[in-house]
Amino acid sequence: MKQRRHVGALASLDGGPLHADVAGLAASLAAGRLDRRSFLRHAAWLGTAIPLGACGKVAPPSNDTLRFVCAIQQIGDPALSAWVEASNLFRNSLEFLTEVDAENIVRPGLAESWRPSDDLKTWVFTLRPGVRWSNGDALEVADIAYNFRRWLAPASKSVNRTAFAAIERFEALDDRRFALHLSRPVCSLAEQLYSATCPILHRDFDRLGGNWPANPIGTGPFRLTRFEVGREARFERREDYWGPAPRLKYIDYIDLGPDVSTHVAALAAGQVDVLYRITIAELDLVRSLPQARLLQHKAAWTLCIRMKVDTKPFDDIRVRRAVQLAADNAQMLQLAYRGMGEVADDHHVAPFQPDFGALPRQGRDVAKARALLAEAGHPDGIDLELTLGNTIGRWEQDTAQILQQNLADAGIRVSLKVLPPTEYWSVWNKVPFGLTSWAHRPLGIMTLDLAYRSGSTWNESGFADPAFDALLDRAMAIVDPHERAPVMAELEARLRDAAVMVQPYWPEKFTAVSPRVRGHELHPSDYFRMDKVWLA
Amino acid sequence: MKRPPALVIGVAIVALWLLVAVFAPVIAPHDPLVSFKPLLRPGAAAFPLGTDLLGRDILSRLIWGARPVIFLSLAATLIAYIIGVGAGLLAGYRRGVLDAGFSFIANVILSFPVLVLYLVVIVALGPSYLNVVIAVTFGSAPAVFRIVRAIAIDIAGRDYIAAAVTQGEPTWRILLIEILPNAAPALAVDFCLRLGYSAIIIGSLGFLGLGLPPPAPDWGGMVTDGRALAFAFPHLVIFPCIAISSLVLALSLIADGLREARQ
Amino acid sequence: MRVAAWLGRRIGLLLLTMLAVSFLVHLALEVNVDAVAVKVLGQFSTPDQRAAWLRENGYDAPFLLRYLRWLGHFASGDWGRSTYYQEDIVKLILPRLAASALLAGAALLVMVPLSLALGIASGVRAGSLTDRGVSLFAILTTSVPDFAMAAFLTAIFVLGLGWLPGVSTMAGGFSLRELVLPVMVLVLASTGYLARMTRASMIEVMGQPYIRTALLKGASPSRIVFRHALRNALLTPVTVIMLQIPWILSGVIIVEVFFAYRGFGTLLYQAALNSDVYLVEACAMISVVAVVASQLLADIAYAALDPRLRGK
Repeated sequence: MKQRRHVGALASLDGGPLHADVAGLAASLAAGRLDRRSFLRHAAWLGTAIPLGACGKVAPPSNDTLRFVCAIQQIGDPALSAWVEASNLFRNSLEFLTEVDAENIVRPGLAESWRPSDDLKTWVFTLRPGVRWSNGDALEVADIAYNFRRWLAPASKSVNRTAFAAIERFEALDDRRFALHLSRPVCSLAEQLYSATCPILHRDFDRLGGNWPANPIGTGPFRLTRFEVGREARFERREDYWGPAPRLKYIDYIDLGPDVSTHVAALAAGQVDVLYRITIAELDLVRSLPQARLLQHKAAWTLCIRMKVDTKPFDDIRVRRAVQLAADNAQMLQLAYRGMGEVADDHHVAPFQPDFGALPRQGRDVAKARALLAEAGHPDGIDLELTLGNTIGRWEQDTAQILQQNLADAGIRVSLKVLPPTEYWSVWNKVPFGLTSWAHRPLGIMTLDLAYRSGSTWNESGFADPAFDALLDRAMAIVDPHERAPVMAELEARLRDAAVMVQPYWPEKFTAVSPRVRGHELHPSDYFRMDKVWLA
Repeated sequence: MKRPPALVIGVAIVALWLLVAVFAPVIAPHDPLVSFKPLLRPGAAAFPLGTDLLGRDILSRLIWGARPVIFLSLAATLIAYIIGVGAGLLAGYRRGVLDAGFSFIANVILSFPVLVLYLVVIVALGPSYLNVVIAVTFGSAPAVFRIVRAIAIDIAGRDYIAAAVTQGEPTWRILLIEILPNAAPALAVDFCLRLGYSAIIIGSLGFLGLGLPPPAPDWGGMVTDGRALAFAFPHLVIFPCIAISSLVLALSLIADGLREARQ
Repeated sequence: MRVAAWLGRRIGLLLLTMLAVSFLVHLALEVNVDAVAVKVLGQFSTPDQRAAWLRENGYDAPFLLRYLRWLGHFASGDWGRSTYYQEDIVKLILPRLAASALLAGAALLVMVPLSLALGIASGVRAGSLTDRGVSLFAILTTSVPDFAMAAFLTAIFVLGLGWLPGVSTMAGGFSLRELVLPVMVLVLASTGYLARMTRASMIEVMGQPYIRTALLKGASPSRIVFRHALRNALLTPVTVIMLQIPWILSGVIIVEVFFAYRGFGTLLYQAALNSDVYLVEACAMISVVAVVASQLLADIAYAALDPRLRGK
C-alpha cells in the first residue's frame, strides 16, 4: 500500500504521463519480486524522474588542486576509446546524453528527459536548454545528430556501431528534441548512452582534425589545459559552466607507470590524493597506512580467459570444454585474488547483476576433461599458449598461473606469454587464447550484447550463434528484470555450453584516497565524476 | 701452496650452488610450480623459507631458480670466451688490418651499456632464453678479446715465438700452445668475475620483467613478484636477493683468491 | 700541435664508432619495414594502411638510403616522434635526461671522493686493518646486484626504520629525500670497485723508488702522499671512473625502474616495452654518445695527468 502510494508520487522527466510499463514494474515491486532499487533503476530507463538522495554537506568552490594517479593514454577520438582510464579524463570536459550514478540509476545528462514509446522502439530525447560548448557555441540537436551519424556509419570503427545496431534512424524534431527510431525494442537505451565511448563531441570534431586533446572542446565543467601521454594531464575549472560550479580549481592527472605499489607509496608520502585503483596485492599495505583511506566496491568486472572458436585447436568444442572443465574457478579466486570476490560460472553474468538468471553451477571434472581431449585426438594432452597483458594488475598473471596448474591436471600444458599492457590491447581480440579484463556493465545483457553477439566489434572469441542473437533481442525488449531472468538463464546456459571461455571469478574492487578527499565515490564502471569531489 | 681463505669460501659456495642447480629435482622439497597455502612466513617445517603469494614453496623456487641463472650465465660466458679468445689471439698475433677491424668492432660494442644493448635486442627480436644468452655474450666477448689481445701482443714479440715460427710450427699451435697458456692466469680471474656479471645481468633482466616467462622460478622475477607485499612479507624479496648476491659474492671471492695466489 | 693532432685522431675514431653504432641500431630495428609499420600503426591497422604509410614515409627506398636519410635527420636534431608518448622525441628526452644527469651526477659526487678516500687509506698501508675492512666492503658491495641492493636498502630504511620514502617519483616536485636511496644504491654499486682500483694504483706508486727515497729523507708520510704519490696514483682511478660510466648507466636504468624515478632509464625501459622504435633508437644513441664522450674524457684526463704525455 505504502509502495503503491510512492509510485503514484513519481513523475516522468518531461512532465508527461508515466510510461505504460512503469505500472507493471510497480506491480512487481508490490508483489515483492523486485526490490526498491531495482524498481527505481528500471523505471528510470523509461524516462521516470528519480528523486535524488539526500545531499551531504556541499563545499563552496575553492582553489584546490586534486592530484589523481591514472594511466594517461592516447585519446584521439573518444568514440574509439578502448580504455576506461582515458574516458575518465575526457569525462571532465565531455558530457553524455544521460548519466548513470554510482547506484546504477540513470539520470539526465545533456538530455533533460527522454520518453520511449510503448513498444520501446521510438525514443524521444529533449536537450537541456542553455548548454554551451567551451568555444562559446550553443549545444544543438545538430551536435547530437553528428555524433550518432559517426557512431553508426558503416565504416565506423567505434564499438557504438554494434552497441546501437538497433538504431535505424535519427530524426531531429525541433531545436531541442530528437527521436531515435529502432528496428527492435531496446529497454536500456538511456543507460547505454552513458558508455565510455558515447561522449557528445562538438559537431566540428572531425573538421578540426579528429584529435580531441588537440582541440579539447567540451560542454563539461572542466577544460583540458595540458595533455602529455604517459606523463600528465591538467584540467581547469570552467567558470562559465552551465551546471553547478565544481569545487576543485584544478585536477592534475599523473601517470606513475604500471606499478601500483609505487602509487600507494606516493599516496603515503602525500604526493597524490586519489589512486585510480589498487590491486589485491596492495590491500594489506593500504590498510596499514594512516595516510590512506580504503574504498571498496562490488562490481561486475572480471577476467575472461577466452578461446577463439574459429582458430585451431579451439575450433573443436571438445578442446574448449576440456579447458573449461579442468579449470578450478574457486581455486583461482582463493589463491590469485585471496578469496576477495565471488566464484563465477563461465558465462559472464554476475549473480548480483539485476538481470541474472539462476543456473545450476557447473562443477570441475578433470576426468571428463581428459576424456574429451582424447576424443578430440589429443590422448597425450595438448600444448597451448595463453597471452595476457596484466592490463589491470599482476593478479591477471597470478590467475593465469593457477589456471596453468589446474589444466596441467588434465594434461593441458599451458605456456604463458606476458605482454606489456599496451601491447596486449593491440592483440586482445586476435590471439587464439587470451586473458582479457572486462569492465563492469550494469546489466548482464549489456555485456552479452557487446561481447558475444555475432560479429560485434568487441566479440573477441568469435562466438557466433543466431539463436543466441535472437534470444538477446528478446531479452533486450523485456523491461521487468523478473520477467527477463528466464531468458537470461537460457542465454547464460547457451554461452557456457559453447565453452568459449573460462570466466573464473568476480573480484572485488579497491582503491585508496587521501583522508582529505571528500565526495569521491567508487563507480562500479569506474566512471568518475570529479565535479562533486573536494578536499577537506 | 697456501690457499687464501677467500678462495676456499668462494669455491665452497659456488660448488654448493652448482650442486643445487644440477640436482634441483632431487633436492627441492616441493614442485616449484604447485600452490599450497599462500603467504606462509618462514619457519614452518614443510616450508622453511615460507610460501609466496600463490602458495608456492620459496625454498623450492630458489633451488630451481638457480638453474637459469647458473646455466645461462655459464653458457653466455663460455661462448663469449670462445669468441673473445679466438679473436684476441688472432688479432694480437697477426696485428694489421685484422687487428684494427676486430678492435674497432669491440670498441663499438663496448660503447653500449649492457642493459641498453639488451633492450635494443628485445625490441628487435623479442625476449627469450636464447636472446638473453646472445645479448650477454655480445656484451662480454669484446672485453675478453681485449685482455687476450694485450697478452698476445706481449708474448708474440718474444724470442721463442720467433723461434717457433722459423721452425715452421703451424699458427694454431703457436696460438693455442705457446701463447694462450700465458694468458690463463689472467683469464681465470676474469672468467669468475665475468660469470658474476652475467649472473647480475640475468637477474636484472628478470627484475625488469624481461627474463623468463611466469611461472618459471627466476630469482630476479621473484623479487619483482614480491615487491608489492614486501612491507608485510619481506621474505618474498629478501631470500632471492640473498641467493643472487651470495652467488656473485662467491665468484668475486674466487677471483680475488686467484689473484692473491698469483702474486 | 701534436696534442691537437692526437685529439683530432681520437675524436675521429669516436665519431666513426658512433657511426657504426647508429648503423647497427638502425639495422636491428628498422631492417624489417613491415614490423616498423605494425609498431607505429598498431596491430589494428590493415595491410593497405601499412603499405600506404610505408610509401608516405619513404620506406620503399633501399635500406642504405633510408639509413643515410635517418642519419641526416638525427644529426640535424630531428629525432622523430614517439609512437607511444605521441610527442616529439627531443622534447620528451631532454627533461628525462636532465633528471638522470641529476641522479648520476649526485651519485658521482658522493662516489668519487668516497672511493678515492677509501682507496688511498687502504693503499697507503696495505695489509692493515683498514685495508682489510675496505677490501671486504668493496667485495661485498660490488657483488650485490643493483636491484637486490635497492631491495635491501628499502627493507632497512623504508620498511624497518621508516626514514626514507620508498619511491622517487618526485610527483610533488623535487625532493632531496627521494633522491637519497637511488643515489645510495648507485654509490654502493661502484664505490667498492673504484676504491680497489685506487688502492692498487696507490700501492704501486708507494713502491716506486722516488717515494722510498723521500721516506728515507724523513719526509712526513702525509706530505709524501699528498705531494708526490697522489698525482700519479690518481691516473688509474680517473680513467676507471670514466670507463665505469656504461656500468653506471645500466645501474641507472635498474635504479630508476625500482624507485619509479622519471628519468632517461625509465623512458628507455618504457620505450622498449612498448616497441617505440624511434624512441629506442634515440635513447640508444644518446647512451652511446654518453659512453663515447666519457671515453674521450678518460683519454684526455689520462693525457693531462700523465707526466710522460704532458712533456710532449
